[in-house]
Amino acid sequence: MYIFVQGILVGMQTRILLDEDQIPQKWYNIIADLPSPMDPPLHPATKKPVTPDDLSPIFPMELIRQEVSDRRYIDIPDEVRDVLRLWRPSPLYRARRLEQHLKTPAKIYFKWEGVSPAGSHKPNTAVAQAYYNMKQGIERLATETGAGQWGSALALATQIFGLECTIYMVRASYEQKPYRKSVMQVWGAECIPSPSTRTNSGKAVLEKDPDTTGSLGIAISEAVEDAKTHDNTNYALGSVLNHVCLHQTVIGLEAREQLAIVDEYPDVVIGCVGGGSNFAGVSFPFAGDKLTGKHPDIDIIGAEPSACPTLTKGLYAYDFGDVAGLTPLMKMFTLGHDFVPPAIHAGGLRYHGDSPIVSRLVHDGVMRAVAYYQNEVFDAAQMFARTEGLIVAPESAHAVKAAIDCALECRKTGEAKTILFNNSGHGDFDMSSYDAYYGGKLIDYEYPADLIRDSLGRLPKIP
Amino acid sequence: MIRVGFLINPIAGMGGTVGLKGTDGVLAEALRRGAVPGAAKRAKTALSLIDGGPVHFFTCSGAMGEDALRETGITSFTVVYRGSEMTSEQDTRVACRAFIENNVELVLFCGGDGTARVIYEEAGDRLPVLGIPAGVKMYSAVFAVTPAAAAGLVNAITRDGWSGRPGSGHTGVLLRDTEVVDVDEDAYRNGELRTRLFGFAKSPGLPGFVQGTKQVWEEREEERAKDDIARFVYEIISATPEILYILGPGTTTSAVMQKFGVEKTLLGFDALKDCRPAGRDLNEKDMLALLERGQKARLVISIIGAQGSVLGRGTQQVSPDVLKRIGVENVIVVATPHKVRETPLIFIDTGDTALDRSFGNYIRIITGYHIAQRKGLGLPSGPERPEMTDP
Ligand SMILES: Cc1ncc(COP(=O)(O)O)c(C=O)c1O
Repeated sequence: MYIFVQGILVGMQTRILLDEDQIPQKWYNIIADLPSPMDPPLHPATKKPVTPDDLSPIFPMELIRQEVSDRRYIDIPDEVRDVLRLWRPSPLYRARRLEQHLKTPAKIYFKWEGVSPAGSHKPNTAVAQAYYNMKQGIERLATETGAGQWGSALALATQIFGLECTIYMVRASYEQKPYRKSVMQVWGAECIPSPSTRTNSGKAVLEKDPDTTGSLGIAISEAVEDAKTHDNTNYALGSVLNHVCLHQTVIGLEAREQLAIVDEYPDVVIGCVGGGSNFAGVSFPFAGDKLTGKHPDIDIIGAEPSACPTLTKGLYAYDFGDVAGLTPLMKMFTLGHDFVPPAIHAGGLRYHGDSPIVSRLVHDGVMRAVAYYQNEVFDAAQMFARTEGLIVAPESAHAVKAAIDCALECRKTGEAKTILFNNSGHGDFDMSSYDAYYGGKLIDYEYPADLIRDSLGRLPKIP
Repeated sequence: MIRVGFLINPIAGMGGTVGLKGTDGVLAEALRRGAVPGAAKRAKTALSLIDGGPVHFFTCSGAMGEDALRETGITSFTVVYRGSEMTSEQDTRVACRAFIENNVELVLFCGGDGTARVIYEEAGDRLPVLGIPAGVKMYSAVFAVTPAAAAGLVNAITRDGWSGRPGSGHTGVLLRDTEVVDVDEDAYRNGELRTRLFGFAKSPGLPGFVQGTKQVWEEREEERAKDDIARFVYEIISATPEILYILGPGTTTSAVMQKFGVEKTLLGFDALKDCRPAGRDLNEKDMLALLERGQKARLVISIIGAQGSVLGRGTQQVSPDVLKRIGVENVIVVATPHKVRETPLIFIDTGDTALDRSFGNYIRIITGYHIAQRKGLGLPSGPERPEMTDP
């Protein structure tokens, strides 16, 4: 595998690949390795812990079981693994040209999830969710989508398993990325800009603010309402929930195997964070190693936008997952469920809350978070494209930025750290965002946390 | 058909070509040095780009407007004022009154800050004013960036109408508050920029949606954005009544005061403590007195002028002494997204360089409810943004 020519190492492997039959057989459930149980989700009305019966109107039983399971490993059904073969195992790359450009002693590896048909990590869970709903006789799934990646993924998955699909797409993205809607149409789904007049939640928002750019929180309200009001319809969420994070662990499980092939184990693991699912996916297997003492020193970093800095500036508290307050209350880092983040181009990171497990691990110090401005994120994406060739999604670019910063830090300290980051998706439908970047139109939004805290009388209201 | 008052200050911009800054009061010297009138040329550039059909101009005779219109082939105009050959401030003033009598809905003029000030004195904040830049120094925000941009705005008005009026939807041209800034020309000729905020005119601005791409952005109409900012600042002040708040000039800060039921002096600095007025139109001494005994204070201030000074030497009330007592970390800058977008360069020039530097390379500007933007702070010579392209 290594070739030496006159003592110089050349032609080292760039892509580290696994065979199809090395797709993980089981998902890893990090809840089994937490030192104490998670704070339970609470019913929005009674504020009592939710029961499976509360969730069954919108989720299939098997997903509810996974949501609350404390088994360390959960079998991936063969039917699901069969579909995953379309693109899994995804390649692990060594970003050697980027390393050279940065003149860093660090080694940068990244997992490339842009190879899925929908272009991101999202199909990893979409396939599983569509499968379990199909098994339970559900005919239609309703969901929200931010950047359009999740909507595309669920459109693909429902098409494969013969379900109908209705997608509420955040209006800012719907207009920024018109071709995402076409993709969903190709895969047989219906895509509606949110807020819409289809639902009461959507109508309420439009009444208050007809020009709203929408947000994930609003779109979730719409999709949940749609599912609650139609018997044949369930709801599917593309991030945040435990079972979604669980399905994404194939990323980290594969990466750990792939790194082992080249005799590596990461010192740093990085992912971008919207609702937390791809970050969970790449990092949970390693966070598990940290929790169980196998690798206590690993540094795990989530990268989020300064415009919506949930983990770095939010409160760790119970809050709703959506704007209308239809979802259970979850203990998580939150900026408040009524916060409408500014219309940044990383639409998939515009979420006021975060995965309760990721939140818990950040709160406990097992992981940490950093926040970046739009322009510096696109600077990083451009550097990555010019060295490694891949044009990444604006969301993923946050992880690229964090990896670059980490590698530059190594240049200062001289440490030869091994960095692993998850490259969650390609930017093929995001060229209008790159255009805006080159046109000098990207606004460096930030969340004035100190002043907001002041304005809340230093006593934030927890619902 | 829209009615537009059109006026050129033919001598604007002459000083620059012969190394003088501004022309007010130094015209004879400028002509002696061989200055050539340039305003007419810039005005014609703008006129030639205006879709004449739906516009009727009301203008002045000869070099003050009529000639330029004729030379660009525009025929739909009425001369409503006949002025003298060597035009003066008085001509501008009287012409403006004639425009108002003829019910124009926009005054389009070509000139400099001095011209802008005179027109503002006549038109006030009711009649929209738009400047085609011709003078050497344009600190007032009533000016379009270029003659072509001025033409673009006029075309947008005839095509889409004014925003917020029936039938215009999201596409109309919005009205924004624009600072009219008066520069002390004697000081300026000696290399010192001393500006004075004269008032707030209304000027057309691009709609709150980026055109062409149909992308929906956070930028909404001005008034709405202003109200969002005011609501946020109001909540901050209400929740921290023990802090002394000093609010600078402008309509955004006025909107904050309004929420407390207090009338704000538009051009001055007013104070609030315990949510009640604690001083009006404060000068430096008043502020220092209020800041006695370690009173914790915050300064709420907007971006002033087309050059975007946050604390320029014109805001002399806020002396370096006052600012040091308040502390740069307690300065809250507010501006609508539109204002931020239209202001390519934002700088701080208190007269104390070390103090200016203590603001750092970036400034945070509150642009909405719970929303801020980070902008690079420039030296008046050029903006800076650290690049990451080469490590
Ligand atoms: C490419 C990409 N990366 C990341 C995300 C963020 O989601 P999550 O935090 O759940 O991974 C999204 C969401 O739309 C996405 O499309």
